[in-house]
Amino acid sequence: MTIAIQYFDDNPCRPRHFKPPPCAPVIPDGPARKALDACRRRLFLTSVVFACVFATVALRVVEIVLLEGGTAQSHMPRFHPPAPSTPARADIVDRNGKLLAATLDTPSVYANPKQILDAEDAARKLVKVFPNLDRAELYAKLTSGKSFVWIKRRLTPREQYEVNQLGIPGVQFQHEERRVYPDGALTAHVVGYTGIDNSGFAGIERGLDNTLKNHQDPLRLSVDLRMQYVLREELQRVIDDFTAKGAAGLIMDVNTGEILSIVSLPDFDPNRPGAPDSDHPDIPIADRMFDRITLGDYELGSIFKIFTVAMALDSGTSTLTSTYDASHDIQIGRFTIGDYHGKHRVLSVPEILMYSSNIGAAKMAVAAGGQRQREFLARLGLLKPPKIEISEVAKPHFPAKWREVNVMTIAFGHGISVTPIGFASAAAALVNGGVLRPATLVKLPAGYFPEGRQVISTKTSEQMRRLMRLVVEHGTGTMAAAPGYVVGGKTGTADKVSGRHYVERKLLSSFVAAFPINDPKYLTLIMVDEPHPNKQSHSYATGGWTAAPATSRVIQRIAPLLGMQPVDEASPELQQALAVESLQGKRIENY
Amino acid sequence: MIRLRSLFWLLLISATGFAMFGVKYQVQALEDQFARINRATAAEQHEIRVLDAEWAYLTRPETLDAMNRQFLSLAPISTKQLRTTVADIPMRPPTAAPAPAVEATTMVAAAEPAPMPSAAPSPLDQASAPALLPNNPAAEPPQTQSALRAMPALLDKPPATPQPTKPSTAKAAARPAPPHHPKSLDDLISQIMASR
Repeated sequence: MTIAIQYFDDNPCRPRHFKPPPCAPVIPDGPARKALDACRRRLFLTSVVFACVFATVALRVVEIVLLEGGTAQSHMPRFHPPAPSTPARADIVDRNGKLLAATLDTPSVYANPKQILDAEDAARKLVKVFPNLDRAELYAKLTSGKSFVWIKRRLTPREQYEVNQLGIPGVQFQHEERRVYPDGALTAHVVGYTGIDNSGFAGIERGLDNTLKNHQDPLRLSVDLRMQYVLREELQRVIDDFTAKGAAGLIMDVNTGEILSIVSLPDFDPNRPGAPDSDHPDIPIADRMFDRITLGDYELGSIFKIFTVAMALDSGTSTLTSTYDASHDIQIGRFTIGDYHGKHRVLSVPEILMYSSNIGAAKMAVAAGGQRQREFLARLGLLKPPKIEISEVAKPHFPAKWREVNVMTIAFGHGISVTPIGFASAAAALVNGGVLRPATLVKLPAGYFPEGRQVISTKTSEQMRRLMRLVVEHGTGTMAAAPGYVVGGKTGTADKVSGRHYVERKLLSSFVAAFPINDPKYLTLIMVDEPHPNKQSHSYATGGWTAAPATSRVIQRIAPLLGMQPVDEASPELQQALAVESLQGKRIENY
Repeated sequence: MIRLRSLFWLLLISATGFAMFGVKYQVQALEDQFARINRATAAEQHEIRVLDAEWAYLTRPETLDAMNRQFLSLAPISTKQLRTTVADIPMRPPTAAPAPAVEATTMVAAAEPAPMPSAAPSPLDQASAPALLPNNPAAEPPQTQSALRAMPALLDKPPATPQPTKPSTAKAAARPAPPHHPKSLDDLISQIMASR
């Protein structure tokens, strides 16, 4: 009974109007009380647990919202603007910032035939945009029932625009990255080209592949597109004039080693490497891809005599007044060394260079000795592959045993083959005051002169400049003269090697020039591969008749671009600065 | 009482809920807009790259050369054309107008003889050469006067008497025979060639 009263009193569900009768609280005893206490304890424990959990949740909420929530700004990093759509590969620009290679998203157009409503109409419209496509074939594709058919890969922006204008449902674009060379063949050998996956295959694209992949700023080359064009045009002219097999040339800054232009003809279109050239379908692709300047390895002939003379003058084994008897051919072993247009008399050192006497050069080299000659060429870096950013470079070839006959032939540039780029760097060192700097294709900051190595004395360098001027004034290189720009240089005509023999009729004619020679700034090297004599050249195809006039034309065209002022070549100061003392007062016999 | 409280909480909860959803949708819309702008930026950047490449293609030396042949027929600069440097172009003959301020001060100190312009008269002003000679001071006084009257504001006092000092005389002399200005580039070149 008491239990019942207690029960009613505590029952939360009791009706409100029902009140238990007043009575004293009954404390139950015995087992009932025990059960009640146990209940209370459990209730208490449960509520404590729940309170703890809710308190934790509440604290956590406060913590998140108030303490860790931060400000609106602190949430901004989540919304980084996406990095500007940089291409996977950096652009390449010339020294003036003109684009040479760019990576573009090129759209390819495809269709989902299941979504095409009117296949016939679509085919008719698409053929209007792409005249090359076959309408029947396209119609067949569009009604094939597949869900993906290519219509055309790699559209031009204009084509994409036109397809967009058609507004055919079910026709869509897919983007693919593609390397584009706006200047095409003009910079083919310098810039090189890339493969389908946009990795470099040749030229700078290959040599600086990692740089291009890891950087986003355009790579600025030292090459000047305008000079590239001038040089290429003039080389093409030489090829046409002398029906030559090929030609190559370079322009270099002698004081920094920067290369302003490299052209090797025949060339190829880097946008479609390996595709046959429509103008010259007979020239093999390998020949067009071949970079004569870095990968070519030639016996350059007489232009090598500048090294012989520099070596002899620098080591003191000859002076400008030394004379060598060039009246008779040299007979050594089974070789005969003769002069092309010999004077058949005793020649002084300036005359040997001026008239390009093989006999004189050979004797001069013998007088200096093979050991010295080899050391000198090694010092000029001609016995090692040239260092340049392009990775396709040829190793020079030279005799392992430097015998007397080698000494003689190397004196006039036979029996040793070097790359034109290596030759140009060494020749630049001869005229720039004697400092050898590596050739570079990457633009250097203005006013920066890379570390160089003094390879000949300043005095020898000055003497070389005077001698090279003499060659153009009176010697074999008169046709290289560019009035006002004081050109100095040296001609070269080498017989080409075929197998183990020299071939008489196959020549490699060349001309190396520096201008203005009184204070050289730039060097040009032009080579013509297998020129054939023509009527104008009086059946000559030597360096003086082929490469020298081209050099003159190139210099006259590029000098204004280089901001060079023509000077009066007859001015007494200039004559004084370029006079060769040993010849002063004498009548100089022209070649 | 309890009802009022429940109502209060209910209102608060629904207000919070609405506010939260409101903010959420607002953020979503902003994010959409953000993404849209980003896509548009990327598209623009891509467009710029394409246009850059196209510009490079359209301005190839080869194309420019062909267009030059067709429309301009410009030839490479020959050495002869470059013979004249800026330094080679003769200075204006000394009869050219000196700065007005200088002239005014010279006028004030007209008592002492002003220094003769150092450069020799060029053939251009041979005709007015007598006016420059010191022993012939009043060669052309009327012109001097008119020249001075033309700029009264610059003078401290009006010139009561013609004081033919040399610079002002030179100025006056320059009036009748000014160095003829070239009308065209060809004119300028022929003038330069004639002066050598």
